[in-house]
Amino acid sequence: MSVRSKLPSGGDLRGIKLGRRASIAVATVGTLCAIGLLGTLLPGSIFGTLLEVIFAKGTVGSALRRSTPIVLAALGGIFAEKSGVINIGLEGLLIVAAFAAVYAMELSNNLWIAFLVAVLVSTVFAGLFAVVCIEFRADQIIAGLAVWLIALGLAPFASQVVYGAPNTDSVRSPPGMNEVLTGLPVVGTVVSVGGGAVGDVLTAVADLPVVGGLFHASVVVVVGALVEADVAIYLMFLMVGASWYLLYRTRFGRWVRASGENPKALDTAGVNVSRVRYASVLLSGVFCGMGGAALSLGLGQFTGNGQTMVNGKGFIAIVAYLFGNYNPVGAFFATLLFGGLDAIQTGLQNVDIGVPSPLVRIIPFVVVIIVLALAGRTRVPSAGGEHYESGEE
Amino acid sequence: MSVRDRARRALERLIAASAAERVAISLASLVLSLVIGTLIILAGGRMTTCEEAAFVLTHPQPFGVPQLFRMGFCYDPVNVFDRLFLGALGDPLKDGWGPLSPFSGGPLNPFREGYDPLNRQMSDTLRETTILVFTGLSVALAFRAGIFNIGSQGQMIVGGLATAMAVLWASSLFSGLVGTLVLIPLGLFVGAVFGGLYGAVPGALKAYADANEVITTIMLNFVATGVILYLVRDVFKDPDSLSNQTEPLPDFATFPSFLFPDYYGFSFVALAFAALCILALYYVLTRTAFGYDLRTSGIQPEAAEYGGVDAKRTIVASMSLSGALAGVGGAVYVLMVLGNYQTGVPAYGFDGITVAILAGNNPLGVGFAAFLFGVLKSGTTVVQFSTNVPPQLVGVLRGLIILFVAMPEFFRMAGRRVLPADERPGEPVAATDGGHTHGDSGVSENGVESDAPTHGDGVESDDARTHGDSVASDDAHESADSTGGERR
Repeated sequence: MSVRSKLPSGGDLRGIKLGRRASIAVATVGTLCAIGLLGTLLPGSIFGTLLEVIFAKGTVGSALRRSTPIVLAALGGIFAEKSGVINIGLEGLLIVAAFAAVYAMELSNNLWIAFLVAVLVSTVFAGLFAVVCIEFRADQIIAGLAVWLIALGLAPFASQVVYGAPNTDSVRSPPGMNEVLTGLPVVGTVVSVGGGAVGDVLTAVADLPVVGGLFHASVVVVVGALVEADVAIYLMFLMVGASWYLLYRTRFGRWVRASGENPKALDTAGVNVSRVRYASVLLSGVFCGMGGAALSLGLGQFTGNGQTMVNGKGFIAIVAYLFGNYNPVGAFFATLLFGGLDAIQTGLQNVDIGVPSPLVRIIPFVVVIIVLALAGRTRVPSAGGEHYESGEE
Repeated sequence: MSVRDRARRALERLIAASAAERVAISLASLVLSLVIGTLIILAGGRMTTCEEAAFVLTHPQPFGVPQLFRMGFCYDPVNVFDRLFLGALGDPLKDGWGPLSPFSGGPLNPFREGYDPLNRQMSDTLRETTILVFTGLSVALAFRAGIFNIGSQGQMIVGGLATAMAVLWASSLFSGLVGTLVLIPLGLFVGAVFGGLYGAVPGALKAYADANEVITTIMLNFVATGVILYLVRDVFKDPDSLSNQTEPLPDFATFPSFLFPDYYGFSFVALAFAALCILALYYVLTRTAFGYDLRTSGIQPEAAEYGGVDAKRTIVASMSLSGALAGVGGAVYVLMVLGNYQTGVPAYGFDGITVAILAGNNPLGVGFAAFLFGVLKSGTTVVQFSTNVPPQLVGVLRGLIILFVAMPEFFRMAGRRVLPADERPGEPVAATDGGHTHGDSGVSENGVESDAPTHGDGVESDDARTHGDSVASDDAHESADSTGGERR
């Protein structure tokens, strides 16, 4: 039986429901505007609190930071699924990468090495998953779940072995962009002088009565968050662009898409379908490795209690790319919605709004379910989830 | 009706033919997982530091051959598995594994003197087994309908909390034996209802909104954990307690324990009830029209729908039933183990996935797989006491077992390599596989494997016959081929 029929999209190839997606986007923007309006008019009310939390500099930065691992995992998921291998084990890849990054960081005290090790470990896991699915024709969903469960046991196991507890010791975090820039010889001086001047102007404008509020909310906060953001966020932006280019503008991207849509045609054209699929799944490992490293290094620690620090981000990534219709840029914006909600709920936990924190914490998960219910009927690659066997071996 | 019976019998023959292969694959997966587990223990033993090596790997040194190779490990895998399996049963064997070795030459009775089968560790093992039967059945049932229910954990805790609150509320109305006879069935019922409702949510989302149930069930696990943490922490909290738990239930409202002391937290009554559920589910799946519809939807949804099965309703019904079983598991956990509701319920739902997959999603197999996992879970505490190997090892084994069971082709390939007579050079692989395929329909029966067309045909034509439509058979074949996709 085709696994496809068990997936959200069902077996039918329904048209892309852009209408639904657009309406969700409009609803998001609308809600933000409404909160902004109500918050400005009634600063004392719950909307005022929400507005403060949403447009606090920390929230925007934290939304970006929280989105980074999810976006990277989603990029990986896009490549795997576009090629016809549904990788539901993204969560597991994030978990092993998150641990590997911290462990490598502690041993080497070098960010690059930590990143590379995380990518390597995650790619090895993805490679095993690929062999199991492509060579041994395992059911992709079950194999993906197995990858998740193995990682869920293995990372805390390794942490217990090395650190004597499911949580690792703390390591150094990646520097912020401002630190990187000011650290450079010539650029540093320019940035600190120019940045200071620009900062003065920005502060002056922000101090203006009405315009200042809006300006502050939009420009200062976002720019400030970007400048202070750690380098992983720039890596994420780079990867979103690169994977869009790779998927839609290169021959390899065409092969990936063909391997998911019509493997027989690709085979006829003389391209080895298995090889394309292997490459795509390995690529998903590479992206998840970056995501996991960004996650754990960003916080400087791996926590392995319960669902570990990854805590469903891999699954949210899957929803994000489904919602983003397998487009890297779409997946980025979809993730920003979840990352933003996650940041807001964390912000809200510090401010008393009368809703208990365990309930605030489930907001992103509930939104994921709602989004999936509204945008679930995406068009899955037609050979997604199916084993392809070329006649000759 | 007779046509339907014939179809059913044909289906059962297919399952029976594959049962042996299923068992072989499950056992092979288990062994392979233990082998990999050994490697992980050894690797872990190298990563950590210790005063004295617990296990030394070296070569024999006959005739004074100098030592060329010696490697010490902090963990001793033999000891770990010894503690895991024998420890979980309360050390039944004489001198450890001695009597099982071919050289022991001992008497036939392998049990050590003074071994009491009703020991504490055995009680823990059976306790874990009881709960795992329910989550295992829950996952297995959904699988049979072609649905991945990863949300047993959430359904279980929702059922558990509902049970605790309902029984607590009702316990003021009854007392003594009457209380036991009324409150326990009430608790189980409430657990089933709430677990079932919570399972119906992803079912409805899948049926009517096409939302992938793997994702929704996982998300609903998070939601359940959050909401229950809030409820137990802020609303139903026992004011006399520092931890997040509800008020304790009176003794008469919990499962009576026979043979074992009360504080062991295990009751044979609950185990018997679990066994009853296994048989009941087996009956429902194999002997009722609902079970037949459910399994056909799992094997060939299109064919089932063609044959008049309401696919959407079947999805919601099977998810509700699956959630109800998990909810009963939560109820048993509350009424047998905890005696109230506490946050931080162990991951029985995830273990249930392994139990179900290891059992080939057969209710009867779930009993055995649950016992095996009961041993693993209870043995983990023994391992923790007597060695310093981290308890998360069982979590790794859990995933490995799922992985290996999910790739039967691996074992088939290995088998073909060992028995090359089977393989005729020059023949396309697909054909070789086709020859095997009818044998492994059990695998596909569970929706585990995706090479549908070959089995599809068998089941499909049965189904077409069932509904006495002479044209159907051809159409059904076509639909089977189109769903089979690219596989030739």
